Amino acid sequence: MGTEAGIQVAVLGAGTMGAGIAIVASRAGCETVVLEKDKTRMSEGFDRIGKFYAQSVKKGKMTEGQARAALAKVRMTDVPADCAGAEFVIEAIYEDLELKKDLFAQMNGICRPDAIFASNTSTLSITALAAGSGRHDRTVGMHFCIPAPLMKLVEVTKGLQTSEETFRRTLAFGDRLGQVCVTTQDTPGFILNYFIVAFNNDCIRAYESGLASLEDIDKAVKFGLGYPMGPFELLDIIGLDTHAFVSKVLYEELKETRFSAPSLVKKMIGAGYLGRKTGRGFYTYGAKGMFGAA
Amino acid sequence: MMEIRQVGVLGCGIMGSGIAQVVAQKGIPVVAWDVSDEALTRGRNAIGTFLDKEIARGKGTPEGKASTLAAIRWTRDLADLSGADLLIEAVIEDLGVKKDLFARMDAVARKGAILATNTSVLPVTEIAAATKRPEDVLGMHFFNPAQRMKLVELVSGELTAPETVAAAEAFARGMAKETVRVKDAPGFIVNYLFIPYINSALSFYDKGLATREDLDKAIRLGLGYPMGPLELCDLIGLDTHLHATEAIHGENGDPRFVPPTILRRMVRAGRLGKKSGQGFYDYRGKDGAGR
Repeated sequence: MGTEAGIQVAVLGAGTMGAGIAIVASRAGCETVVLEKDKTRMSEGFDRIGKFYAQSVKKGKMTEGQARAALAKVRMTDVPADCAGAEFVIEAIYEDLELKKDLFAQMNGICRPDAIFASNTSTLSITALAAGSGRHDRTVGMHFCIPAPLMKLVEVTKGLQTSEETFRRTLAFGDRLGQVCVTTQDTPGFILNYFIVAFNNDCIRAYESGLASLEDIDKAVKFGLGYPMGPFELLDIIGLDTHAFVSKVLYEELKETRFSAPSLVKKMIGAGYLGRKTGRGFYTYGAKGMFGAA
Repeated sequence: MMEIRQVGVLGCGIMGSGIAQVVAQKGIPVVAWDVSDEALTRGRNAIGTFLDKEIARGKGTPEGKASTLAAIRWTRDLADLSGADLLIEAVIEDLGVKKDLFARMDAVARKGAILATNTSVLPVTEIAAATKRPEDVLGMHFFNPAQRMKLVELVSGELTAPETVAAAEAFARGMAKETVRVKDAPGFIVNYLFIPYINSALSFYDKGLATREDLDKAIRLGLGYPMGPLELCDLIGLDTHLHATEAIHGENGDPRFVPPTILRRMVRAGRLGKKSGQGFYDYRGKDGAGR
């Protein structure tokens, strides 16, 4: 049963998504255990969580007291047994089906029978993950956005064998976390990636065909459609390698051209132009910010 | 570079009257043309209504409204556009009609005037070919409503001269517009990228992969778009969207522009969106809100 303060949550993985989800959970008052076997990633993850709370106080979004209380709800550990009491276990490890299935299978032997296993996967089948989890009716998809602490949307997905009760409890949990849940089918890309990956590839192809310049395509999308960012600015933030990876998975499943990353992407990755993280993508990024076009 | 001192606007519908207002508000005299007094009156009233709303919001003044309207001359005589440095055509999206009109514009416009078309899906090169001065013809694609949407797509036909584009660009920027330059390809930039996305959203919904509310909510909150695809399609009008996607598919044969089955079905059933009271959502409630 949950403590007076809130539900018990375990987050598996302390990378960008894991840390973000841990923030969402702890901020909502949940006792949050973060399981990470790599010591470096564990301390970096905890740093990230701490920094977020410090920033929240600075920006006046939380009081010092609130931030301290929320941070106190977070416990980093490399001992799987520390997750035994969790009612919700949210997996946010590397995007690999076998790794995720193995982790769920391992946790299945540790966690309470009524605990729900949720996967933050963006590209893998919930049905497939559930089949390897040992509790196929209690496994569900909960796909958070990046950055999780700032984006309210969560895509909740039932696998073929997910029970109605699991689904209902997950929606209620998402609500408790202060998130906004939508329901998706267990199809490649769910909703968000299905649309954004195809759209971004369409934009890259338009540029490749010489329709207009990079800056003009970004400008047209922002001022003509009102989107917060142009596609090339966004791709530089997502990372060309990440985009290529998700494109590949979706294309293999759907076999529709729109999901296939154009050849320019492969060339850019080969040249090390991965986006902001390498200082250059479609645009070049210096200490003074973004300038020029690739 | 040529200075634009007088602008002619052809067609006083939503786009034409909006463009006329934008230009007149910058203090440049406009001659607005249409085929009937009713059309001219509708255009004048549309501008008046828009400016009244601005005044009510505290964004405009009665004096501003008066001087904007005073800067526009309304006429059914095409010859009255002979003094314009820039003529912007914004009539019905019909190639035959536009070509006829451009041939007539060619006959009355002064030498060196720029002839621009606001078409969103028709080939600028072919419209230009209806004149003897294709080098002076380009696309200037505004967005609805022209008074609020900053973007203008500057479309070079095959024979459009660089000076023409440069002059149109300077003029649009003088109107505080954001300009982009694009080749004469169906859909230019915005519609070329936007329409396949909407089509895929309609098919996605038709397959039952999400409820209409969840799909729109996911896009708004997850991608930060101002509106979800279904509510946006309702606002644009399903018939308008069908016409646009068919026109582009007719030009380029690109399968992404094939109208989704659900779109044809709904248009056939008269479910055109907000304008007909029902689309993907129902607008027939007291407050007209989508349900």
